[in-house]
Amino acid sequence: MEVKLGELPSWILMRNFTPSGIVGAFQRGYDRYYNKYINVRKGSISGINMVLAAYVVFSYCISYKELKHERRRKYH
Amino acid sequence: MLSRVVLSAAAAAAPCLKNAAVLGPGVVQATRVFHTGQPRLAPVPPLPEYGGKVRLGLIPEEFFQFLYPKTGVTGPYVLGTGLSLYFLSKEIYVITPETFSTITVVGLIVYVIKKYGASIGEFLDKLNEEKIAQLEEVKQATIKQIQDAIDMEKAQQALVQKRHYLFDVQRNNIALALEVTYRERLHRAYKEVKNRLDYHISVQNMMRRKEQEHMIDWVEKHVVQSISAQQEKETIAKCISDLKLLAKKAQAQPVM
Repeated sequence: MEVKLGELPSWILMRNFTPSGIVGAFQRGYDRYYNKYINVRKGSISGINMVLAAYVVFSYCISYKELKHERRRKYH
Repeated sequence: MLSRVVLSAAAAAAPCLKNAAVLGPGVVQATRVFHTGQPRLAPVPPLPEYGGKVRLGLIPEEFFQFLYPKTGVTGPYVLGTGLSLYFLSKEIYVITPETFSTITVVGLIVYVIKKYGASIGEFLDKLNEEKIAQLEEVKQATIKQIQDAIDMEKAQQALVQKRHYLFDVQRNNIALALEVTYRERLHRAYKEVKNRLDYHISVQNMMRRKEQEHMIDWVEKHVVQSISAQQEKETIAKCISDLKLLAKKAQAQPVM
């Protein structure tokens, strides 16, 4: 994006971490995704598909602790 | 708030109002002007036709474009394959019975989407278009209504220019009525005056006639009175002798 990799820490420190700022950030992210993939004339299924895939991955990460016990081999 | 603006405008227009001082705070708002900036989002920009491109239904196109300069076309696919093999071999992704059900379900979903995706999309597009057509109809009807109102307003404003015809006609009517009344009254005055004068004339005539008759009667009466009895006898005797003469003359005539 417009931020160079070396400037990342200073850029992160510049952000607004107040509650309204965080809410604003979530709102902006949501609006960006919504206006790009869902709020169009001929939206495709990938708009919802990506959200579901992200949820699948997220829930897998959450339940990895219990899934670790079902591994076939202990040492990889 | 609007009422305050109206009040302040009234106060500004009629400074002779006694309680203009009470509306002092509202005067400031009368100087504010509304609707000066450029209207934003008017007309509303149309929706984009298609959403962002997504490959395999999961990964946005931007990712592929991001890796294209360094790795070419096959870069992201190789990355995907390598990552999945890594997860499988290191068992970061554990193969459980759930995996097989997942594979089946995902396969089914992909098959259904590939087969019926287009028709469902068309059906939903038709629904959308119906909704949009309805709203468009309402918009057009409103625009037409407002345009008609504007035209009528313009026609009425044009009529204002022709008001003077009405006033001319009214003025003419009033002038005619005044003229008629004046003439009527003039005629009546003339008639009344003539009436009075006629009365005086007839009174004079009557007086003269009465005087004449009275005089004639008076003269006759005195003449009759003045004829004494002796004169009457002499007159009658003379008349008889005249008559006799006349009778002789008259008798003599037919014999011849």
